[in-house]
Amino acid sequence: MTKIVSPWPSERFLSRRQMLARCGTGFGVLALGSVLDQAGLLTGPARAESAAFPLAPRAPHFTAKARRVVHLFMNGGPSQVDTFDPKPALDRYHGQPLPLNNLRTERKTGAAMRSPFKFQPYGQSGIRVSELFAKTASLHIDDMAIIRSMQAEVPNHEPSLMLMNCGDSRLPRPSMGAWITYGLGSENQNLPGFIVLCPGGYPIVSTQNWRSSFLPGAFQGTYINTQHTEIDQLIANVRNHQLTADEQRRQLDLVRALNEEHARARPQDTALEARIATFELAYRMQSEATDAFDVTRESEQTRDAYGRGTHGRQLLITRRLMERGVRFIQVWSGAGQPWDNHENLEKDHRRLAAEWDQPIAAFLADLKRRGLFEDTLVLWSGEFGRTPVAELPALNGRDHNHYGFSVWLAGGGVRGGTIYGATDEFGFRATENPVHVHDLHATILHLLGFDHERLTYRYAGRDFRLTDVSGHVVKGVVA
Amino acid sequence: MAVAAATLFAASAGAAANTNVARHWAFQPVEAVKPPEIKNTAWVKTDIDRFILARLEQHQLQPAPPADRRALIRRATFDLLGLPPTPEEVERFLADVRPDAFDRVVERLLNSPHYGERWGRHWLDVARYADNKGYVFFEEKSFPWAWTYRDYVVRAFNEDKPYNQFVLEQLAADQLDPLGDVRTLTALGFLTVGDHFSNNTHDILDDRIDVVTRGLLGLTVGCARCHDHKFDPVTMEDYYALYGVFRSCTEPMVPPAIEAPVLSETYEGFELELIRREQKLQEFVESKHRAIVQGARTRLAEYLLAAYAQRNQPSTESFMLIADKEDLNPAVIARWRAYLDRVGPAHPVWRPWLEFSTIEEGKAETHFAEQAARVQVAWTTSAPGVNPRVASAFSGAAPRSMKDVADRYAALFKSVNEQWQAALAQTAQPAPAPERLPRPEDEELRQILYGPDAPPEVPLQMDWGFLSLLPDRASQGEFQKILTSLEQWLMHGPAAPARAMVLQDLPVAYQPRVFLRGNPNRPGATVSRRFVQWLDPERRAFTKGSGRLELARAIIDPGDPLAARVFVNRIWMHHFGTGLVTTPSDFGTRSEAPSHPELLDWLAREFVQGGWRVKRLHRLIMSSAVYQQSSMAQAPPSSPSRSSTILTNGGTFIAGASNADLPAVDAENRWLGRFPRLRHDFETQRDALLAVAGQLDAQTGGPPAELSSNRRTIYTFVNRMDVPPVMTTFDFPSPSASCPQRSATTVAPQALFLMNNDSVAKAVAAVLKRAEIAGAAMISVRTERLYALFYGRPPTATDLRHAEDFLGTAPDEKLWTQYVHALLMANEFVFVD
Repeated sequence: MTKIVSPWPSERFLSRRQMLARCGTGFGVLALGSVLDQAGLLTGPARAESAAFPLAPRAPHFTAKARRVVHLFMNGGPSQVDTFDPKPALDRYHGQPLPLNNLRTERKTGAAMRSPFKFQPYGQSGIRVSELFAKTASLHIDDMAIIRSMQAEVPNHEPSLMLMNCGDSRLPRPSMGAWITYGLGSENQNLPGFIVLCPGGYPIVSTQNWRSSFLPGAFQGTYINTQHTEIDQLIANVRNHQLTADEQRRQLDLVRALNEEHARARPQDTALEARIATFELAYRMQSEATDAFDVTRESEQTRDAYGRGTHGRQLLITRRLMERGVRFIQVWSGAGQPWDNHENLEKDHRRLAAEWDQPIAAFLADLKRRGLFEDTLVLWSGEFGRTPVAELPALNGRDHNHYGFSVWLAGGGVRGGTIYGATDEFGFRATENPVHVHDLHATILHLLGFDHERLTYRYAGRDFRLTDVSGHVVKGVVA
Repeated sequence: MAVAAATLFAASAGAAANTNVARHWAFQPVEAVKPPEIKNTAWVKTDIDRFILARLEQHQLQPAPPADRRALIRRATFDLLGLPPTPEEVERFLADVRPDAFDRVVERLLNSPHYGERWGRHWLDVARYADNKGYVFFEEKSFPWAWTYRDYVVRAFNEDKPYNQFVLEQLAADQLDPLGDVRTLTALGFLTVGDHFSNNTHDILDDRIDVVTRGLLGLTVGCARCHDHKFDPVTMEDYYALYGVFRSCTEPMVPPAIEAPVLSETYEGFELELIRREQKLQEFVESKHRAIVQGARTRLAEYLLAAYAQRNQPSTESFMLIADKEDLNPAVIARWRAYLDRVGPAHPVWRPWLEFSTIEEGKAETHFAEQAARVQVAWTTSAPGVNPRVASAFSGAAPRSMKDVADRYAALFKSVNEQWQAALAQTAQPAPAPERLPRPEDEELRQILYGPDAPPEVPLQMDWGFLSLLPDRASQGEFQKILTSLEQWLMHGPAAPARAMVLQDLPVAYQPRVFLRGNPNRPGATVSRRFVQWLDPERRAFTKGSGRLELARAIIDPGDPLAARVFVNRIWMHHFGTGLVTTPSDFGTRSEAPSHPELLDWLAREFVQGGWRVKRLHRLIMSSAVYQQSSMAQAPPSSPSRSSTILTNGGTFIAGASNADLPAVDAENRWLGRFPRLRHDFETQRDALLAVAGQLDAQTGGPPAELSSNRRTIYTFVNRMDVPPVMTTFDFPSPSASCPQRSATTVAPQALFLMNNDSVAKAVAAVLKRAEIAGAAMISVRTERLYALFYGRPPTATDLRHAEDFLGTAPDEKLWTQYVHALLMANEFVFVD
């Protein structure tokens, strides 16, 4: 048996009462009020503590532009020298050893391998991007901040996925999405606050990528297999197969009547009232979730713009979820590790990028049109990049590279048209302003209004945080 | 013991030691406490009540009246069994006029086999129990016999195994007299059912240290892996002392069987094949290991140069690397590199190497030789400490390159190795083998090949961790094949018995050293295997094998202030929803003080003096007035209204201290002026649903079942890699680490599950098929039976009116289904007064 206890150290977050008392400060308050109003929770005193509603919106440490995150995860590791980090020097050395010792990566590497893709400058900023992301770059480069000096810790998928997602290569720690949902709650109580879209199954290390670990389970990512198009297969238990909506409404009215009778003899028990409210929320969630995932409600024009492939559909769903207040949405390339092109890189990178480029370009344009771009933080990343040298024995693929790789940010609070940091002449290792994954996390939290050193959770005698004991905000990408 | 420790520690150790630590309540010995004097003696049933009442009176509060009998039996049954009482059990209790009627109920429940299932599950949270390993590579991903540990825990609670014995067995069952029951070995699952962390040895050991220290002692020792604990008296030495204990143990590939085999031809065939497959694995691993160690000695020049080439490159210590078969072994390169990094500039053998290494490369060969000559002069003249054989190797012409340097070293080591091999070969059989080479300068070199920290002395791991030493795909494939063949046979061979997930001591115990900043390649000072210094200020080294048994004995030493306090607090927490200490696995200086410190000590002392008997503790607690009081808040339903409350800065309500305002004054019910109303956890919700549906499968123990089965939830497969979303939704804890206490969230997906999931619909249908339900056609009769079954009470007039309003006069099956489903979704079904 469990007593309802607050999952939050009370001194760190505003209680509902405190929030109401400070009404008018920050967006969270109004949203919370409306949520509780919807749920009929504003009718009595001292109701619904935050523990009862782990997803109730909460204010961050300071005012920030971004209030939600979309993480486009190119799992497997996209090559930086073929996308966002042009290295003409590789042309000169193509097929020959580099004039430096190859850094040790997972497998044995050999000669330099030039990029098979053409780069050209885009936008006013004139940032050079490869043809792989031509559509995205031509429309949005001046709103993107490319970090070319990313660094992870090891050249292996599993620990690097853990690091990128959870801030630690090996130990069980909560994911970034869980931390952010813990920090901010969500603005829609009818949907999960943290949603993970991945077509066809799990990526490597599966649900660990979006785990809540020692944070309460409500902050864990909800996985949705976007290969499916039927709502039943997308979200568990979202439909009742026996009852009509009216029948279910009538049934829930009975539940509510029984619960109110039960609560009358047990006054002032917030746990009872919270549970009563969840049935109302769940009832509404059925239609809300169905709507959110139903892309056929979009115009043909919009659907064409996003593209009719899986990623176009994923990003349309993403936008619909964002509009409904979901806090953190992670969108993956696919099951396993699609970008892991140890061989046939030219062919496979071209195919993968073609699946993404138009949807991303259309998605960002759509956000701008709808006024969502300013308060959404978009992150594009893999778990690491790839070597500028070819993996042996052939000359047509690249090994993993954690010494230097590229990611980009766009949207709320991001300084657009920016290149931050640089790798060496060949794109092997970050040499100028290296950015560790902890720094990226600190920056993301900063853009959301958090001091990454203060967003903590007490567990096992220690105040844990996403950035462990490290992390510096990369000011260069902050507007 | 602990008092002495306080002063000793403060005098000897680092930043954590200060007077706050020395005075911290949890580190004081458990004192004999006299139950306090109170005013309302009539209320008191046991000494526990005196402690509770003293606080209530101090806050000018009064306890609630006793719970009614229906509430009480429902509370006790869910509490001890995690199942609802049957209507017959309720009626029997109501009719029992004997003064000890409730004691009899408690006794009946404690003797139920379901008791161990309930309380065992609480312990499995602490033990971070799961039926698989987490992410691993080429090996079997499940723990085929984790369930034997789960069954051990259930049995231990059912048999009322004294807690001190429970601890001893879980840490060192292999070193105890099994008293004829080999199943005791399954207790060691406590250490071995943790995550395999991709087979990173150090993380696996860290997890074991964590589960032992947080789980049994409420101490967060894991913090000291990389630095001394910031707040508590736990040092890195303490961490590595315990690391040494667990590093001195191994998990055998073929663990002991726990069932006596039925001797038959099939079984004999099984055994023979098992031995064959095991031998094959052993031979493979040993021959690979031999080749690695040999290669590390014979290809010394190459390894030195490889280490040299990497000297300015980022460390690859924690990489998983893939190489070709004939390549140097990356793990051995890493060992050489780490070794050369740590020997220090004045090392008699390596000083020349290190100084030559500083010469800039890539210039003309003459440049190297010129620089080398200068270096050579510097150290031959000013440093008499250089090993004479090394000095002579570099006394002539200056080396022309690092390869030249490496070759000279390699020649030197080759010659020493030959000397050593000759010495070994010449030893006549009865004479003992030589232990060293006679001349110190030779022996100094030999130590670098054969000494305890020698780079070529790659430790042999017979278990899964061996994979990290096989970087080439071909060997990995071969290893995988041989390993899988053994694993499959062990699990699925004909007549394969269940086995215990044991740990065994290594023949030679591991000598721990502090790993600087937690880095295994930066070994620092040697420490002995021992207990945490704070708890054993004399720092007595463990002497028997790994020291696991000594560690277990130290933990349950009645002088230890922590083990008993931590455990009784857990028991209290599961009875009352909240512990006396609200951080059940952290009794350190940053934990909140107990709400009732004297009660905690009194319980701990009672517990130890009563022979560490858990059932005795349950009786003690459940026979008290505080347990038996009502959960109803004493405020009349009409007040307090919004206007009568005052919002303060801290967000608490202040009102008069009259009984009517009790919930406002003590909103969290910290002083227990009423019994806390508790919500079922995941297991109880599922099990109760199955129970009232008449579907609950009473089978106990055995291999894990599917979540879709009708077995009790404790018996379903716990998937560490992918906990089913429904379990997470209902706050089932992550088995990635020891869980002190579950969180209890209220989220819409919980309601969605109850509204729409097929399993709930199935249970509803089953309820309606129960004979006594199906047999009652009249709305009032059927409703009465449903209320008895679900809520343990008759329906009120209002309840009946709701039923009639909903069902109409002639309800069909469909309406009844909707009605029953509604009753099962209602709060009354998942909350216990």
